[in-house]
Amino acid sequence: MLLGGLSATALAPGFAFGQATNEIRIGAPLPLTGPLAPEGRKQKRGYDLWAAQVTKDGGVDVGGRKLPVRIIYSDYQSATPRGVQACEFLVNQEKAHFLFSPFGSGAAKAGSAIAERYKIPMIAPTASSVEVYDQGFKYLFGTFTPNSTLTEPLAKLVTEKAPDVKKVAIFSRNDLLPLSLANEMRKSSAARNLSVVYDEKFAIGTLDFAAALTQMRAAAPDWVFVGGYINDLVQVRSQMRDLGMKPKVLTMIAGPAYEEYIQALKGAAENVSSAAWWHPSVRYEGEDLFRSTANYVEVFKAAYNGDTPDYAEASASSAGAILQLALKKAGTLEGPAVRDALASLNVRTFWGPVHFGATGQIDSLTPPVFQIQEGKAVVLVPDEIKRGEFRFGIA
Amino acid sequence: MSASLLAQVLANGLLLGGLYAAVAAGFSLVWGVLNVVNMLHGSAIVLGSYAAWFASARFGVNPFLSAIVVGPAIGLLGWAVQRFVIQRVITAPVLITLVLTFALDLILNNGMINAFSADYRKVPPVTGAILTFGPIGLPLDRVLAAVAGVVVTLAVHAYLNNSRLGRAIVAVRMDRETSMLMGVKVEHIYAVTFGLGLALAGIAGCLMAVVFPISPLNSSGYLGIAFVACVLGGLGSIVGAIVGGIVLGVVESFGAIFVGPEYSVTVAAVLLIAMLLLRPQGLLGRAGYE
Repeated sequence: MLLGGLSATALAPGFAFGQATNEIRIGAPLPLTGPLAPEGRKQKRGYDLWAAQVTKDGGVDVGGRKLPVRIIYSDYQSATPRGVQACEFLVNQEKAHFLFSPFGSGAAKAGSAIAERYKIPMIAPTASSVEVYDQGFKYLFGTFTPNSTLTEPLAKLVTEKAPDVKKVAIFSRNDLLPLSLANEMRKSSAARNLSVVYDEKFAIGTLDFAAALTQMRAAAPDWVFVGGYINDLVQVRSQMRDLGMKPKVLTMIAGPAYEEYIQALKGAAENVSSAAWWHPSVRYEGEDLFRSTANYVEVFKAAYNGDTPDYAEASASSAGAILQLALKKAGTLEGPAVRDALASLNVRTFWGPVHFGATGQIDSLTPPVFQIQEGKAVVLVPDEIKRGEFRFGIA
Repeated sequence: MSASLLAQVLANGLLLGGLYAAVAAGFSLVWGVLNVVNMLHGSAIVLGSYAAWFASARFGVNPFLSAIVVGPAIGLLGWAVQRFVIQRVITAPVLITLVLTFALDLILNNGMINAFSADYRKVPPVTGAILTFGPIGLPLDRVLAAVAGVVVTLAVHAYLNNSRLGRAIVAVRMDRETSMLMGVKVEHIYAVTFGLGLALAGIAGCLMAVVFPISPLNSSGYLGIAFVACVLGGLGSIVGAIVGGIVLGVVESFGAIFVGPEYSVTVAAVLLIAMLLLRPQGLLGRAGYE
């Protein structure tokens, strides 16, 4: 039994190459329905844009041949165990040469075991937690820097601009990314002698935050830091408004970077600060098919009715662009060779400079800090792309 | 922990409980009268929420007003579902009706996911005002929704006790065979009761839309609330649904404070198990009626 299982495992990628060398098959498990559907659809838009651009350019250069790209989607309905099944299905049934990871740190971590088992390079466009990359895996590569690269610049900015901010409340969804963000926020607070006066988690799917926010309000924090996804964050912000909570600083990750967050909250989104791994106002020139950030934004707008891309969409497009550069370098679709090409990549792209560290996580980006001002995300850090000054207080 | 914090938590719990009462009332009625565990109930609430959102987004009608139309409309749908589908297996063991309503729930829920997607939608605040009583702050929208929930539930209770049709429903709930001997058309009562149950679900959906975001994914949570509140209050008892809903709301609210927000639902589940072990007929239910 065991031997049979091992044989099937070892042969599966071989069959894939034998059967489908006339196209590049990429498996993309996504939460296209369920609570994470907004995030899942963003990733899909990013992938689709890259694939459309590849088609326009005549294909991906692999060893002198131009091969078309086929992205095979599988909806795992926002349930991580189904995401892992989807990875397995895409490799074994759909014969995917490469995988883009499921959404977020938790699902990417779970799905990466499949990529590792079958020696299929997997690019994770939405996984930032170091816990995803510390498994010793060789086939997983991520386009997000660690979460500390978000909390540290935020903490530095807030404490520099408002030395009277002393008390911090940390509230996070009981999920890998938000918990990891909360952990980094604790470290950033401790490093600056900020007192954490409230530190709690909320269950996935929670709708009513009134009791937790009441307790948080009683602790009178100067700075409230909330980690979660867009639906959680919209609901928490709405109920903070209902309870009349007005901390000096409100930071939420990872929702305010999305236009949907601003649209859902209108005025209540004002002065909410956040950080993300990319922003459309960054300016990079690249060797990838999009050539520059400015051009990427234009191509995206043209494809999606004038919508401006956010970091999740851009990261998904960058996953394709990075894979394309690695394929050109490797000159083959063989998993181990492409994996080596990804590991040694050191290029500039519209997403920013791309170099993966020893764990497979990108180590060459500087994520911007921004704040919602007059209904727009205004970059505050780094200085090169700064567009405004930090504002205190919320509506 | 200060008295003002506890008072605020209690107030939050009571308001949540008022909404939970509305969620549970229709479920309790159907279970009590038809002996049907209506798995469709949560999705019917969500359907009501979508109808309220549609009325708000398209016509600018607030959910309190749209409930007047949405409730009867979903009630009519419920009447038809019972009359033409559930009635065919009404005498079968409870597991059969449970599986049937579960299947109907899958159809309705997936239909809503297809039609509306899983994205959360939000009805804009109706008043947006906050009432303050010393250190306690209460969002007026939430107060109105909770009060409306309890008032609608009490109105149904009064109707059941004071109208001819209502007395017939209560009679069937108490003793189906004797009711038939007394000339009550049980099939008709079943259809009307199921319709009334779903009308209450539709109204509850409109009220929930005032406070919470709307998504088909909320349906299982609403079904869970209805289930726990019914067991707490006593099956088939409308007043029991109010008591059960309020107890659940208050326990969840204090659970979030004393045990942590991530465990508030766990606290409710522990309460459910304790209730089933110690008083299976519920707080207001009658022994032997569980």
